[in-house]
Amino acid sequence: MRLRSVWAVAKKEVFHIVRDPFTLALAMGMPVIMVIFFGYAIEFNMKQISLAVFDSSKSQSSRQLQKTFVSSSYFQSLAVLSPAEAIQALDEGRAHAALLIPPAYAENLRPRSESSVQILIDGADNSSAGSILGYLGGIQQKVLSAEFGPYSEPITVQTRFLFNSELNSRWFVVPGLSAAIIAILSILLTALTVAREWENGSMELLLSTPVRPVEIILGKLLPYSVMGLVAVFFVFIMSQIVFAVPFRGNFLVYLLACLIFLSTYLAQGLLISVVTRKQQLSMQMAMLSGLLPTILLSGFIFPVEHMPRFFYYLTMILPARWFISLSRDLFLKGASLQNILPGFLALCALFVLMMVLATRKFKKDVEP
Amino acid sequence: MNTSGVSLKVTGLFKKLRQTQALQGLDMTFESGLIHGIIGPEGAGKTTLLRHLMGLLHADRGEIQYRRQDGDISFSELRQNIAYMPQTQSLYPELSIHEHLEFFRTLYQLSDQDYAERRRALLQMSRLEEFTERLASELSGGMYKKLGLICSLLASPLVLLLDEPTNGVDPLSRRDFWQLLYDLQKSEDILILVTTSYMDEALKCQKVHLLFDGKTLLEGQPDAILQQKKCKSFDEVFLQYDALEESP
Repeated sequence: MRLRSVWAVAKKEVFHIVRDPFTLALAMGMPVIMVIFFGYAIEFNMKQISLAVFDSSKSQSSRQLQKTFVSSSYFQSLAVLSPAEAIQALDEGRAHAALLIPPAYAENLRPRSESSVQILIDGADNSSAGSILGYLGGIQQKVLSAEFGPYSEPITVQTRFLFNSELNSRWFVVPGLSAAIIAILSILLTALTVAREWENGSMELLLSTPVRPVEIILGKLLPYSVMGLVAVFFVFIMSQIVFAVPFRGNFLVYLLACLIFLSTYLAQGLLISVVTRKQQLSMQMAMLSGLLPTILLSGFIFPVEHMPRFFYYLTMILPARWFISLSRDLFLKGASLQNILPGFLALCALFVLMMVLATRKFKKDVEP
Repeated sequence: MNTSGVSLKVTGLFKKLRQTQALQGLDMTFESGLIHGIIGPEGAGKTTLLRHLMGLLHADRGEIQYRRQDGDISFSELRQNIAYMPQTQSLYPELSIHEHLEFFRTLYQLSDQDYAERRRALLQMSRLEEFTERLASELSGGMYKKLGLICSLLASPLVLLLDEPTNGVDPLSRRDFWQLLYDLQKSEDILILVTTSYMDEALKCQKVHLLFDGKTLLEGQPDAILQQKKCKSFDEVFLQYDALEESP
């Protein structure tokens, strides 16, 4: 292998990136857009849920009940005049939940008696419904202690959330963001790069020179790895300054993980490119095998542990699944290298696999 | 480097590409120091032949011999001395002429001194000196082809394979391009192989090979072939064969 040839190919690729508006825009703009989208738009904690309230008790207790809902800041009440109107409000989407308080609510509210209220939840949006359901338990406890004093229940459960004490969604999302951005930059751009050479015929010219395939491959990957690393730094700085996500682990370990993950995706992009030889097809394959699994199946948004068995095991072949979990461990739990070793080894194994496949599939001729 | 030229001999070449039998027992010889024209309609197998000579395709059957005065050599021995210019526009639109030369110079591993001399001579010959900073995407069709040619000539090859180099180029630039090939032939001991589907270009070559359906129809000096076939142009020669094919 001659380093000068690698360097020449890399330099040529840089000219392409810098002078091609599409590649440049994708490389520079994507990380910024992704950080804004995922950093700000994703919110698992719902606030100010509109709650239609029909109060037929009209008592001090029922007002107390409503107050407890509203003062939690999760709910915003919307007074309605009948149960039918409450349902209508749900139908029209003006309310996400409804609270129906029966006339006998206050009378039944005494020890050794049973009082109930009805809650209707819009189940069409099941992630919101889940959050609302979660809040109800807490509110019930508050109502009980307000009505009967703090010792009304024999056992109280005191919950404390470790690592992310306020269950801040951003703390959950941002550590995984590098994975999504690397997926776009490395898989997509590398998938395009070799396919472009095949498509416009320059690969035929390259192969007719004494340059070796490994020199072409390394030269092509070099600029994109630098770009990926820059994006990783960008996300890291944003995570610290703008989103104030704590970073409790070792930065060097994190950097190493990013590097291996990045290389795995570069190799995957290369493999796609080498096999398809068409830009359009490469792009679709990159989306299908890189971007979508990285966002949907890696635990970035939806936890892998809750997936059906088949998909749970499928996620094991996704580099992003390992990277996101060890990235979160490093950010939030301050895990040591030893803690995250299995994920690390899995990433390395996937990297070697992809690289071997990509170099073996790289053709030195133009046979169909 | 051995300065004696290289000649090529192709014997009984067969190649199937997917569903098509692209070459059907092709025989041809190419002599050092001459401009050889491979003439034939679209789909005759011209590009497939060049790709075989360049080691980019591997024949199902048959043999290609690369010969020097002192005997046969292998393709890998010839590697540094054979250059190829593909038919498709294969240069990089976002690179300038200067950057193209720098790029290929590194791939061909030319020394600084060799490169400086070669670069000056080639730019002068192709009259591209004034445009070295221009991007390939901004070059005219003729200039683009000339850039492709000088890139492939950087390493002073003994064998030069040009696949339809004048395709889609205006008549003036075509004449210009051929002049370039003659100049090259005068100054260097080089075997030039040009494929073309322009029948009039057959007369510009010193030896022509008529290719049809993956087989050689005729080989020889262009004038001699026209005399032998009693035709005025190579169009007529091909029309004769077409007529033969169609008649029962």
